[in-house]
Amino acid sequence: MTVGTRERDVFLVSNSVDEMGGVTSWSHQMARLFTERGHRVHVIGVTTPEDPHDLGELPYPTTRLYDGQPPAPGRARDASMRAKAAVLTDLFRAARPGGVVIVTQVWAMEWVKLADTSGLTVVGMSHESFETSKRSSRFQRVLRHYRDVDRMLVLTREDADLWIGAGLDNASFLPNAVPWLPQVPSPRTEKAVISIGRLSDEKGVDMLLDTWAEVAPRHPGWVLKIYGSGEDEEILRKHCTALGLDDSVRWMGRTSDVPGALRSGSVFALSSRGEGFPLALMEAMAMGVPCAAFDCAPGVHEIIQDGEDGLLARPGNTGELARRLDLLMSDAALRDRMGDAARENIRRYGADEIAGRWEALFSFLER
Amino acid sequence: MNGVKVDADQRPSISDVAVPDVAMSVVVIVYNDAARLPTAVRSVLEQTLRGVEVVIVDDHSTDGSYEVARRLAAEHPDRVRAYRLPENSGGCGAPRNHGILKARGDYVLFLDSDDVLERNACRNFLEAAETTGADLVSGMCVRVHVDSRHRKEVKWYPWLYARTRTLDSIAELPDLLVFDTLSTNKCYRRQFLVDSGLDFPVGIHYEDLLFSAQAYTAARRITLIPNRVYDWNVAEKAGAKSISNRRAEIANFAHRMEMHRRVDRLLADQGLTELKFRKDVKFLKHDLVLHLRDLPSRDASYRQEFAALALPYLASIDPAAYDEVEPIHAVCAYLLRTSDWGNLLPAVDTLTNRDKVSAPLAERDGRVYWCAEHIDEDPLARRILDVTELGYHSRPVGKLFLRNELTEYRQAEGGGGVVRLAGRVTNPLGVIPPAARLTAQLEFYARRQGVRFQTFRFPVPTLRHEGSYVSWEAAADLSKGLRPLGVVDAVWDVRLHLDVDSERTTTRLTAAGPSLATGQVPVRPRLTRLIADRIEPQVSARGHLAFRLVPDKKANVLVTRGLQGTPGRLAKAGYRKAKTLRKKVTSGDTKLRLYHDVFLRMPVHRRLVVFESHLGRQYSDSPRAIYEEMRRQGIDFEAVWSYTGKPQGFPSDATLVRRWSLPYLRALARAEFWIDNQSYPLKLTKRPGTTYIQTWHGSALKRMGFDEPGWKLKSRAEQAEQQRSLDRFDHFLIRSEHDVRTLAKAFRLREKTLLRVGYPRNDALAQARESAERPLLAAELGIPADKKVLLYAPTFRQQGGRRFALPFDVERFAEEFGDEYVLLVRAHYLNHVVLPPSVRGRVIDVSDHHDVTPLLALADALMTDYSSVMFDYALLDRPMLFFPYDYEEYVHEGRGTYFDLLERAPGPVVRTEEELRSLLAASSLEEQTLKYAAARERFVADFGEHDKGTAARRVVEEFFTDWRKAQ
Repeated sequence: MTVGTRERDVFLVSNSVDEMGGVTSWSHQMARLFTERGHRVHVIGVTTPEDPHDLGELPYPTTRLYDGQPPAPGRARDASMRAKAAVLTDLFRAARPGGVVIVTQVWAMEWVKLADTSGLTVVGMSHESFETSKRSSRFQRVLRHYRDVDRMLVLTREDADLWIGAGLDNASFLPNAVPWLPQVPSPRTEKAVISIGRLSDEKGVDMLLDTWAEVAPRHPGWVLKIYGSGEDEEILRKHCTALGLDDSVRWMGRTSDVPGALRSGSVFALSSRGEGFPLALMEAMAMGVPCAAFDCAPGVHEIIQDGEDGLLARPGNTGELARRLDLLMSDAALRDRMGDAARENIRRYGADEIAGRWEALFSFLER
Repeated sequence: MNGVKVDADQRPSISDVAVPDVAMSVVVIVYNDAARLPTAVRSVLEQTLRGVEVVIVDDHSTDGSYEVARRLAAEHPDRVRAYRLPENSGGCGAPRNHGILKARGDYVLFLDSDDVLERNACRNFLEAAETTGADLVSGMCVRVHVDSRHRKEVKWYPWLYARTRTLDSIAELPDLLVFDTLSTNKCYRRQFLVDSGLDFPVGIHYEDLLFSAQAYTAARRITLIPNRVYDWNVAEKAGAKSISNRRAEIANFAHRMEMHRRVDRLLADQGLTELKFRKDVKFLKHDLVLHLRDLPSRDASYRQEFAALALPYLASIDPAAYDEVEPIHAVCAYLLRTSDWGNLLPAVDTLTNRDKVSAPLAERDGRVYWCAEHIDEDPLARRILDVTELGYHSRPVGKLFLRNELTEYRQAEGGGGVVRLAGRVTNPLGVIPPAARLTAQLEFYARRQGVRFQTFRFPVPTLRHEGSYVSWEAAADLSKGLRPLGVVDAVWDVRLHLDVDSERTTTRLTAAGPSLATGQVPVRPRLTRLIADRIEPQVSARGHLAFRLVPDKKANVLVTRGLQGTPGRLAKAGYRKAKTLRKKVTSGDTKLRLYHDVFLRMPVHRRLVVFESHLGRQYSDSPRAIYEEMRRQGIDFEAVWSYTGKPQGFPSDATLVRRWSLPYLRALARAEFWIDNQSYPLKLTKRPGTTYIQTWHGSALKRMGFDEPGWKLKSRAEQAEQQRSLDRFDHFLIRSEHDVRTLAKAFRLREKTLLRVGYPRNDALAQARESAERPLLAAELGIPADKKVLLYAPTFRQQGGRRFALPFDVERFAEEFGDEYVLLVRAHYLNHVVLPPSVRGRVIDVSDHHDVTPLLALADALMTDYSSVMFDYALLDRPMLFFPYDYEEYVHEGRGTYFDLLERAPGPVVRTEEELRSLLAASSLEEQTLKYAAARERFVADFGEHDKGTAARRVVEEFFTDWRKAQ
């Protein structure tokens, strides 16, 4: 352990301990990291989903405030919130001096706000881009509930600056960590472009198909492998057929073996309408697979240095994304150069790096 | 440092013990501000960063500020220390310098006793400083107007603080030094101040100007953070400025000039010439303007003193800086330099009222100058006073805001209610012709905007031309004619409407001297005669004559009660209600509801056809061609044309409705046919009984609709909404299969809506192709028979606002090719151009013509870049040349194109002005005609195969044959 850091009580409070989703995975990733570094971690969720994700054996305790969902907003909700806040207060009071409460989602903050956090440092987080928040009801709630936390964290400097511009002067940023750095990269031998993500409107697979329609005719022998499942699958498959792409598009379904999927391709494509700090990109880069992506959020151009370790296209500009893919598909040497650079550069988001930054932040907030 | 001796703090034993982890020292300076000091100090003590100490330095106050400071120190012995200067220094420099000496933190901030820090300021400063290693971190200052109704806040140069940014040198961002000259919104590494020997000048005002410049230039690294750090509390100045204030003003101005000189010297010493230049530009644009604006309300002696201080400094300004500022700024600076007060004071009117034409202007050698003076003697004047680009000369009198200088204001003998007024309206370039029929009236109207309860008008019997002015005289019986309600509207503005033949121009009355209009005039307010029965002239902030209702002194209390008590409250509430109600009735939502809930439920109005072209901006294009064909064939129908702005130029035999007005919505809701070329308002649903003929307005080069990135990015719900508005089209006109592959696909149109008949607007072109005669339009435009007509029609460009800057030197063009060609310039309908008078007759702006088709038919050749007129003009089989001077930027930076113009252009492509000139010089139009004949034929086949000259007829036959009148 580095000099100056100390062992702390760390509470990670989210909407749920065991639902599927990016923020929950992030919480457990960080909980493990903090635990490994000697901190005493407690993961807290407000609700319990009907179909909870099996977390297996965890090296830290978890608490669920509600067995199911909280009562609908109204008097019953308010009363229950006070009772649950008291539960939180008891947990917080047991913390040693220097303890930290990390609220990963603004909804959970509504409970934390009612609890007694005196003596603790409270950090509020928003895991999406400013623009994505802006389009949802979370924008106003972030402004309201995170106004008085010790630090409000987003994923990039650029997003933090936008929140500051919107009046949150306690905003700062800390990027997510890449979950693993594999020993062996993808061989980059298969003539396949990979896409991994939920099949939903937000992920823009329809635009990836439009892009593929422009690029595929120039590259016979190449296929587009689409991993993932979701509510839009049927519409997307129809769209694919209408574009006449059935011969070169493979629908792979959901996968639990992301490294395996990445090993079966040479280029990764991200065509989302909105993102935060996309894990899929980081994973592809960690596997040494060069990426072409819509620059749809600050997190994207934070991860990819355009022309250096990947290629960016303006959001929605399928013609441009097609040209980027074309470039990578046509040039094996370029794929190798960018893939290797990506693998090297993504190390700045390595687990130790990021955990170290968190510990430095905890100390800074005590000054 | 400044060497001031200082009383020791009362508790040296405590204060000298170093607080171990003090990261920041905030130096709070105070002078006679005991009341607010605790608030400032509290804003430091309540910082989220705990390791902050306060160093209070009292500039020898006499109001007990020091005692307050000591009390604060006693309450917070570890965090607050208080010092006092042995005598008053009269400025901020000495106390701040002393604070620097006493500070113990790694970083130093300055705070004035009447201001406060944002609570995260120190934490944000520290994080930035430690992350970047900057010597200087600067954050956003916000001016808080504490006396305003809602504590109005104005950010201080927010564009500098839009994002976090680290500079290795101030040279990377000159604007920072030039604009943000505050010392207080910044955090300084203490050792940096010590090592650089930085301190504030003492004994002179505006010490921040020099200090900040020194700090910026000395810092090895500067970080800017977007965080609000400092609230600068601004209290409104009470009352008018007295003479002694005027004296102080001149003294201040002297200090300011001295500080500017010192900063300039600093920049010169360090070789920072670019910074000096940017600073000169800012001086002309901002510093000077601030002072110039006050001049009209100052007397001659003040003006002389001001000039004596400003002139030597103006001489040090780089002449090239004049080219970087707006024309009026340069004009004012030049007129001040030459002490031409006669022209300067009217020019200042334009500084204050930006649209106003306040000088008579002069035309020389085809250029327009601010005034006739100077330009013949001084070449610099020729450059600076040239205001051709403002385009005053091409605007009709109704579109000019003319200066109207009040020359006389006299109350009739005996203090009656009659006021004699006289003035003169500037007549620039003789825009008001001597022979014009002139009438005018004075109008008094309440200052309030929105609902106007009352206006009062008085005739202006005397009007005459006097050189470059039109002078006027009137006698207004205010006692009889002005009957204000009295409670709601206390301030009345005055304007003069001048009708020149049938065109109206409206002016405001400028009170040119400081004391031209004085004295009270009795009036008879309707509601408050008992408490207010006089009005008094006053001059508005913009220099215009206004009147204020004044109460009888004895009744003052009653007036206050009237205005602030129940009657006033009721009247104001009534007024607000009326305003809200009007806003509500005229809001888009209400209109939409009315459209859907009322108008759509009314029965279809048989044979009603609503036409619109380019969102109502023009009477043009295919909707016009169809309309005219229907008239020609004697179709029995009721025509409604939609217009935006003014209805001039629209057909007199149709009902004209303003776009988005209630009659417009009612007509659309009930029409049997909608015919337009772009789109009716997206949110209006179309009833099944209405047929929508979408003619569209041009074949596509750039990606459109769902092929555009912006559309693709929309969420599914947004796309569905967009599609609903497109699905309103029942028929969509097609010129070629290219349209089917592009537009029809991009709008996701069903095959059965496609009508392959060509564009009705192009029928005229097919006919013109057969005709050898030059259209009558040539004579209307004054084009001599021996000149060829070249039409330049560039596409829409967003940069630079509405103004389109021609990509070539139009004067040189006229000179070189004016003998052979007349150049018609047609800007896109969302842009406009300004042509200098020198090219008159040789280059003609035809942007105002509603319809482009007659211009195409007239032109012997077309020059364009990417405008879709290329597809239409090709039908004429005449020469075309392409001038896509910004091709890469336009095509690649934009949303992409459907095909490569450079490959398929049916004419020569030139990329630069040079190439354009040599092309026109080298080959005749006849040669071009022959050389590209095959390419043009191919182009027409590819993009206009259905344009056979019969489109309008076919549309009318398809839809309106049954409506033909019985013969």
